[in-house]
Amino acid sequence: MHKYETAVLEALRKGSGGLDIDALSEATKVGRDGIMWALENLKTNGFVEFKVETNKRMELTDEGRGYAENGLPEENLMRAVDKAGSVPVQSLKGEGNQIGLSWAKRKGFIEIKDGKVMLTADGKSALQKGIPESGVLSGLATGSEKSQGMNENLMRELLARKLITVSMRKGIVDISITDAGIKASSSARAGADQLESLDKQIIKTGKWKGRAFKPYDVSVPIGRKAAAKRHPLRQIMSQMRLAYTSMGFREISGPAIESSFWVFDSLFMPQGHPAREMQDTFYLSNPETLQLDAAPYLSSVKKAQETWWHQNWSLAEAKKAVLRTHTTSVSARYVYTAISDIVQHTSAYSLPIKRFSLGRVFRNENLDYRHLADLNMTDGIIIGKDLTLSNLFGVITKLYGSFGIKVKFKPSYFPFVEPGCEFYAYSENTKEWIEMGGAGLLREEITGIPRKDIRVLAWGAGLERILLIKDRSLKSVTELYGSGIGWLRDRKLS
Amino acid sequence: MPVTTFDRDYLNRVLGIKVDDKTLELQVSKMGFEVEKFEKESIQLNITPNRPDLLDAVGFARSLKNFMHKGNKFNYNIEDMKPVLRINVGSKIRAVRPYVAGLVALGAELDNEAVANLMNFSEKFCDTYGRRRNKIAIGMHNLNAITPPLYYDLYPNDSFTPLNQQKEYPFEKVLKELDQGVEYGHIIDNGSQGYPALMDMKGTIALIPIINSERTKIDKETKDIFVDVTGTSEYTVGRTAEMFAATFMDLGCDVKRVEIAYFKRKPILTPMMEKKFIKMPLQKAGSQLGVALGFNNVISLANKMGYEAALLGSNIRFTLPTYRIDIMNEQDVIEDLGIAYGYDYIQPTEVYSVEQGRQADTTLAADKISQMMIGLNFSEAMNSYLTNEKINFTGMRLKPTIRVQIKNPKTTSITMMRTWLLPSLMNNLAASVHDKMPQNLFELDNVFYMHGSKPIEVAHIGLVSADSRANFNEMKAVFEEMDALLGLGYKLAPYDHKSFIDGRCAQMLDGKKVVGFFGEIHPEVLSNFGIEEPVVALEMTL
Repeated sequence: MHKYETAVLEALRKGSGGLDIDALSEATKVGRDGIMWALENLKTNGFVEFKVETNKRMELTDEGRGYAENGLPEENLMRAVDKAGSVPVQSLKGEGNQIGLSWAKRKGFIEIKDGKVMLTADGKSALQKGIPESGVLSGLATGSEKSQGMNENLMRELLARKLITVSMRKGIVDISITDAGIKASSSARAGADQLESLDKQIIKTGKWKGRAFKPYDVSVPIGRKAAAKRHPLRQIMSQMRLAYTSMGFREISGPAIESSFWVFDSLFMPQGHPAREMQDTFYLSNPETLQLDAAPYLSSVKKAQETWWHQNWSLAEAKKAVLRTHTTSVSARYVYTAISDIVQHTSAYSLPIKRFSLGRVFRNENLDYRHLADLNMTDGIIIGKDLTLSNLFGVITKLYGSFGIKVKFKPSYFPFVEPGCEFYAYSENTKEWIEMGGAGLLREEITGIPRKDIRVLAWGAGLERILLIKDRSLKSVTELYGSGIGWLRDRKLS
Repeated sequence: MPVTTFDRDYLNRVLGIKVDDKTLELQVSKMGFEVEKFEKESIQLNITPNRPDLLDAVGFARSLKNFMHKGNKFNYNIEDMKPVLRINVGSKIRAVRPYVAGLVALGAELDNEAVANLMNFSEKFCDTYGRRRNKIAIGMHNLNAITPPLYYDLYPNDSFTPLNQQKEYPFEKVLKELDQGVEYGHIIDNGSQGYPALMDMKGTIALIPIINSERTKIDKETKDIFVDVTGTSEYTVGRTAEMFAATFMDLGCDVKRVEIAYFKRKPILTPMMEKKFIKMPLQKAGSQLGVALGFNNVISLANKMGYEAALLGSNIRFTLPTYRIDIMNEQDVIEDLGIAYGYDYIQPTEVYSVEQGRQADTTLAADKISQMMIGLNFSEAMNSYLTNEKINFTGMRLKPTIRVQIKNPKTTSITMMRTWLLPSLMNNLAASVHDKMPQNLFELDNVFYMHGSKPIEVAHIGLVSADSRANFNEMKAVFEEMDALLGLGYKLAPYDHKSFIDGRCAQMLDGKKVVGFFGEIHPEVLSNFGIEEPVVALEMTL
């Protein structure tokens, strides 16, 4: 409670009632405005009651104040006439006498006969009783005059003579303290002894003992403190890594700048395939080509490509440097190396081998509010004995299950898997199935496994879409990259 | 994915059964494709590139009916071995577009819709599977306007009236003046070695692979049709002729073979329509799909996908649909059986582990460092790896140096891979000018640069702190904490870096190697990025 409020309550509690603003101002030594402000607050809290009335308020003009002190001109004139019995008109010079003469005459208090001024009977009695205007003026001067109940004609006359001004004024009347106010006042009195804050000195000296702390208004609005936080997509990536590792997967990685060989050729994508075109893929001018670290696999890839796609396979095309369009290139590198090793050292491996990768992939897009040139993606593989399409569905279902996301599968085509599928996640948000990624059993042309019982399950999927499904405040994946700190601060933990 | 559009009336007619939109959408999805759009008069479909036979309303109707167990036509044999037409192939064509196949369809009763569908099919086919006519181009002619025999070779300049033209054009003018010539001329090297053309006794019937002649144009009056397929692979042109043969057979035509006489080779016949088989153990498909399939199941599922199947000892022999050019070996057959079975009915099963899962060491390290940055009240930013010279260099008051460059960007904002993180973080701050200070951001991610001719990808950490009171010592305190917690033991020395205020930048030294720097960002850099408060920044190689 503000000290003005405390003071007003205190004054009201002590006072015998009927205090008005001025009296409160007097008693509390707080200005009228302060009192008004305090009263409004106190009333809002139910500590005081009062009425607001609109009154006419009369004030003397300078002329009116002069008459209040020195008497009205007609009164002075009449007194002089009364003393002398009659006075010649010509002798009444001066402004005062002229005004007095005119008003006294208009009111019928004097008459002029043969150039002489004499009081009428009305004049005599008025002089005896006192002129009403005069009473009002002196009443106003002493502050005892009130506008209530005043003769309207009288007021109009004084106004016409510019002796008074009248203004409309809101006034607070009938101020009284409520029971709640009395209570609040006494606790405020107790609070005078309250501690504002705690400091080292108070703790050390024990000055706090037996004293209370000034309570705070907990509803006062305060600006938010901004928490430092991980990027929402990074949170999804962490969650994805946990999901994988809890299912027995180990993380692998590979370069973002790759040869076409690992991005396309090793995955059985024919040269000239639309996905390899400049339309969709970033090719590099520096470095234009990469040294191929794939010597052991070149001849088998060339053979498979030429056998099945019925076209010459160009090594120069395979060496072209690209920004990887999928993290499946990481899986491809792993599968080629691991499989030849497994074949040579079967006993050193315990199947199944589960691996995953997460990383940036690139698409040569026309950038707009829905399209980005780089996105994050995950790829996973399982190399194992007698693996089935049903196993593939099982792994992906479980992986997305850890995000609370339901998936379904639909046949689809990718050159490197057979059978192949796309999988869709259900968005509770938009009530629709959203395409998440592709999957399948890697073609034997890729795995080139002499042991026919070993199969490889593979899948790849974008990560941004998981976030789009989980965070309904997100409008587009483009928000995720390059945003300002305000955007980050506004994100709920997902 | 190729998109094809079918006329509704025509599709209904070739289907011959009533299929409502809802059923169609569901069945198409189960087959592995998508209805892109239902229009009032047409239907748009997304067809995966392995199934060009479905770009044709007739072929689509055939497969859909099979899939719904409403079709039973598996055999597309041509009894008559005798060719009705001969194409003599010259020796010069070998250098440019060596292979040709042909077929003749007699007794066609085509209306406008049927002609439109055939045109649409061949156009879509050449565009996608034919790689915009590079690999395969198809021409259809009115057989009765042809005076046989036909010759296919490389010719010097000649004149003919191209399709839909009123006057004769020399070949070279076709390439320069007609749309098709401009679009496809590059395939034949714009005629620099001569022009591949198909000629009859009266002259050119097609400039390959550009445009046919007006003389042999087909329309709804055409009864007998000759189709030529040219390309770069003998196998593929032959299979394409077979696919089109199946369509004409479904249209009720009597399809005849064409003899191809390559230079100094024994003549061959196309389309051969030879039966092809794939054999596999009965159990094999089920064991790869993870479902139990008996003999009868397999037969029924095979039929649904257009195969005939028969038991041969303990094996099943599948007769491949002639019109399918995507089936390579048993894996493809197994997938088809899976699609016929329905992916929705394949129950997910677990793959148990033998190894313990594990995140990469680099991931764990990055997580630890990021955690520390959160503790130091820095929020994490994420930015594109792609940038341009203006942001990466000149905006930071640097001159461009050797970098990884994009050959074919679609936009000028993407021309290179970022070489450091601070420009990205400056962009983040620029996007934050209306947000409350202080603003502390970090990014831990990869940057790229060239080491000789080798691209290097390495993880950096970048920090920026924007505040009216941001100063060198504040970032130095952060560095000291990082240095202590990570046990780096780096030394500091003054550093002359144009992005920072002169005299207010330090380099971190690991022995003699510069591993990072920090300091107060130069005001010119701040105004380049539209940042209104002082910024201190740090970048370090991890």
